[in-house]
Amino acid sequence: MSILEVRNLSVQYHTCQESRQALDGISFSVGEGETVGIVGESGSGKSTAMLAVMGLLGDSAAVSSDGITVCARPVQPGRDIAMILQDSLNCLNPAVKIGRQITETVRIHRKCTKREAKERAEELLDMAGIRSPKLRMGQYPFELSGGMRQRVAIAIALACEPRVIIADEPTTALDAAVQVQILHLLKRIVEDTGTSLLVVSHDMGVIAALCSRVYVMKTGRIIEAGTAEEIFYAPVHEYTKKLLRDTKGHKPFPTHPQEVHLQEEHLQEEHLREKPQPPLLRLEHVTKVFGTDEGIRDVSMEIRAGEVYALAGESGSGKTTLARLLTGLLAPDDGKILYRGECLDAGKGKRAWNGKSAWNGKRAWNGKIQMVFQDAYGSLNPCLTVGQALGEALRAQGGKDRLTPAERRRRVEEMLCMAGLSPEDADRYPDEFSGGERQRIGIARALIPEPELLICDEAFSALDASTRKQVLDLLLTIQKEKKIACLFISHDLALIRQVSSRISVLCQGRLAESGETKDVCSDPWHPYTKMLLNSVLPPDPLKAGKVRPVFAEEGTQGTDSGKGCPFAASCGYAMKCCFEETPGPYRFGSRETACFLYSEKHTGKRAEGYTMTSQI
Amino acid sequence: MLAYTFKRLAAGLISLFVLATVTFFLVRLIPGSPFQSGSVSSQVVEAVEEEYGLNAPLFDQYAAYMGNLARGDLGISYQEPDTTVAEIIGRTWPVTASLGTAALLTAVILGTGLGILRAVSKRKAVREGIAAGGMLLAGIPNFAAAILLLLVFSVKLKWFPSAGLLSPAHYVLPVAALMLYPMAVISRLTGNALAAEMDRQYVLFARAKGLGRGRILFTHALKNAWVPVLNYVGPASAFLLTGSFVAESIFTIPGLGREFVSSVTNRDYTLILGLTVFMGTVVILVNLATDLVCAWLDPKLRRSYSGK
Repeated sequence: MSILEVRNLSVQYHTCQESRQALDGISFSVGEGETVGIVGESGSGKSTAMLAVMGLLGDSAAVSSDGITVCARPVQPGRDIAMILQDSLNCLNPAVKIGRQITETVRIHRKCTKREAKERAEELLDMAGIRSPKLRMGQYPFELSGGMRQRVAIAIALACEPRVIIADEPTTALDAAVQVQILHLLKRIVEDTGTSLLVVSHDMGVIAALCSRVYVMKTGRIIEAGTAEEIFYAPVHEYTKKLLRDTKGHKPFPTHPQEVHLQEEHLQEEHLREKPQPPLLRLEHVTKVFGTDEGIRDVSMEIRAGEVYALAGESGSGKTTLARLLTGLLAPDDGKILYRGECLDAGKGKRAWNGKSAWNGKRAWNGKIQMVFQDAYGSLNPCLTVGQALGEALRAQGGKDRLTPAERRRRVEEMLCMAGLSPEDADRYPDEFSGGERQRIGIARALIPEPELLICDEAFSALDASTRKQVLDLLLTIQKEKKIACLFISHDLALIRQVSSRISVLCQGRLAESGETKDVCSDPWHPYTKMLLNSVLPPDPLKAGKVRPVFAEEGTQGTDSGKGCPFAASCGYAMKCCFEETPGPYRFGSRETACFLYSEKHTGKRAEGYTMTSQI
Repeated sequence: MLAYTFKRLAAGLISLFVLATVTFFLVRLIPGSPFQSGSVSSQVVEAVEEEYGLNAPLFDQYAAYMGNLARGDLGISYQEPDTTVAEIIGRTWPVTASLGTAALLTAVILGTGLGILRAVSKRKAVREGIAAGGMLLAGIPNFAAAILLLLVFSVKLKWFPSAGLLSPAHYVLPVAALMLYPMAVISRLTGNALAAEMDRQYVLFARAKGLGRGRILFTHALKNAWVPVLNYVGPASAFLLTGSFVAESIFTIPGLGREFVSSVTNRDYTLILGLTVFMGTVVILVNLATDLVCAWLDPKLRRSYSGK
């Protein structure tokens, strides 16, 4: 018997100017104890469908259907049906304590005293895998980490005593390792309580890890439905095939096998053929700390001209701090940053407009390092046309060879064409473009001063799989053509694996491991790297279902004092020294790792000419 | 939190010191002497100035005044030689404060109510009516409002008395004149903040978990919406509590504001200074109280004050 039944649901949005069909007669059902997935890219109407099911759409939406029922009754939010939203930070009230947000839910659904509600809330938090529920109940949402907040949201959903839980992008905002934990928790809850689960996601990996049945949505319609095996191993619809193909790093259904093959080969080969270039940018023991735990400590690395270098790590690992140091938005507390061997003394830095110390405005490498930001729209001034924004970037490098407005216009148009846009786009405003097009503009703006190093800070994380692939291909083509070095900052190891030749892994501000990407990704040495790699969810129900969280609960990561290995507390290999001293780096050929498993002192004498292999 | 309060109080003392210093020297720039008037000869003026120590070097006078101020002594009024400045404040401030409190409470209650109505009403006419009315009221300067109220309700309709502050009925018109502008602003701020809060994810989530509309509005959204409103209410209440020069003059109310106006025309140095310092103190304390209330509403702010 199906718990949730939706028949022929249509939604139209009416605005003053136009009406838009968001959903076009979709039907789906969720059986008892079943986990069903709905997958589709942004704009496919998945979230609209879920809000329509819950009856939470605003006044501008006209909903029509032949029946939406939960347990054969019309839907009423909170009764037999509960929902978890994507953004756990924003779905908890920032001004109300966690405890109260749960107890008020408990008290809607069962008649009980405040005391009983409190006990129930603690029970629910415990069920959601939060270790000290009493402490957490008295805290506010902003005091909790992202994963912990999502657990609280799950506890609130459970407080409704639902027969079915709708999880709308439950892990999209979370780090890979935390994502695995949360997915695991959802799975356990389904097993323990027998609720049904409806998971909505754009991520094929998440769907593969959880669901037994899958619906594929595109532009307001369900275009394919079937068991997970059918959808992932034998998709019928072209769009499903494309989705699977575009999903990061895994290409089980190439339409043009040669092309895809060639591209990968091409990448790999080129990296091999290239002679080691002289270092373009060198970091020597760079430290920049905010407060007690944020920032980076003692980071050394080297980016060569023309290479794609990747920087991997979870949120809070200091990736963005590093990007800001390199672009000169911040000056290091300690250590040196050398550009083509030229160093700028940190002492000469002046205070930037935001009160943090930064480099002087004019630098030796002015304009030679450019950045592509994660939030393409946020990084474009909405009051400037694309042409003005690009022209400004061109003018900012200044110098002797000042361009006339006509020349500048020509350069802007050339650049837009190169980025796959049309010259007429120069006169349009950022809000007239789609997400992918905006990121193309971001790339064009970064490239127009002809930089030698391009920093992409999570530049592709916000894009859908297929858009990401297009924009990424574009960037890599230009990068190769113009021999620009590229620092690729991302939490997404599957993506990094695809594009970069060398990699550094950051763990809470310290370098855990660096080396050739293919070595590090196929044979990780540092336990942290291994954990990151193990958290990647392949779009394959068999493989993704096997991904297990490394540590089951939140809040086990990190040592407090900045002493010791930052990963020690959650590392299965941790020794006593890991908590007391800071390891390494230990260098072996082209690889480097900061883990005591590779130190001579802690693992005994090594024979002459010993070849290091992975110790884990 | 306590440390934060002390820090703010210390900063307030410094502000008061600067305020007193600047006012002391500025007052002396008013041409003429406090004792000058048409019928008094210059010999008499000089003799009285001698007695009050006004011909001593300016810096000595300043040092003496600041010394007295530090002991809490605001001195004697020149215009009413037998009364101290403190006595004048003690006489006039309760009048002003009662008027100000009444105006503040009505402004907050009506303003918040209208704001909520504007944010949640399903009827477009109600929403836009409140928005337009608020705009209109905020646009009327308070002297015009005061005179208009006086003309209509006191002179023409004779519903309320026009001057003094003897009975509750006397309060109606001055309170109305004082509260119109703050009420309009509060309703606009509450309406905007609440509408923004109602669009937030946590409201959606609260609806999804089955909370009722009223509960979402009053326990969830309003708590967050109040912070921007309070940032206006704080300074506005300081303004109301120190007395309105215009309203008190028009309705002939014996309050702080009117006293201040007359002290300036009389060149009553000590009274001007005393009133300025007193008003400064009220403003500083009210703003501190506002910030503490904001911190109580906004846990993030609270943590930042506690330095955690």
